[in-house]
Amino acid sequence: MAWFSLILAGLLEAFGVAMINQLHVNRNWRTVVLLIIGFGSSLILLGYSLQFLPMGTAYAIWTGIGVVGGTLIGMIFYGESRDWRRLIFIALVLCAAVGLKLVS
Amino acid sequence: MNRNWMKVFVAAFLEIFWVIGLAHAYDFWTWTGTIIAIIVSNYLMITAAQVLPAGTVYAVFVGLGTAGTVVSEILFFGEPFKWKKTLLILILLIGVIGLKLVTDNNSEEGAES
Repeated sequence: MAWFSLILAGLLEAFGVAMINQLHVNRNWRTVVLLIIGFGSSLILLGYSLQFLPMGTAYAIWTGIGVVGGTLIGMIFYGESRDWRRLIFIALVLCAAVGLKLVS
Repeated sequence: MNRNWMKVFVAAFLEIFWVIGLAHAYDFWTWTGTIIAIIVSNYLMITAAQVLPAGTVYAVFVGLGTAGTVVSEILFFGEPFKWKKTLLILILLIGVIGLKLVTDNNSEEGAES
């Protein structure tokens, strides 16, 4: 249950990033509400899973799913750049952030 | 320095405060400060991502926030210093600088916004 809610929290974070993109396409209250629900419920589920899982690992997985998911959705549905340099630099930031969460 | 990148950096800086706040807040005022930091930080990140690519902004926001949190826990909360952390922060900064360079070029070519 803790792992399930952690993974769901990561996916909701990616959904939140998608809604940031959606807001750019379609600036309305429905998108703003979905964005707040996405990020809000993600934080609540993360908080729940942190009661059972080690903090560094849980944060690392949550960040990982959020960044990878958000980037993929951005490229597939919102026409964000697929420049290989951009992907390598995002991967560097992601690996370093996950590494920092694991060693801390 | 582009205005929107400035917003991302300020948002990441504020993220340090609310992450520490979530872990260490203990009374009404510290919780109020934490909640204000969450709102302002996310607002800046989201408005910056209306001009810059959202995936890039989110990665930089999360990355710099993590690095800043690790540094402040070492400086102010007695977490142990490790060389591994310095190396990872260096890699992270290379990624952020790279993203800034690549994204500036793209927005000139694309002229989407």
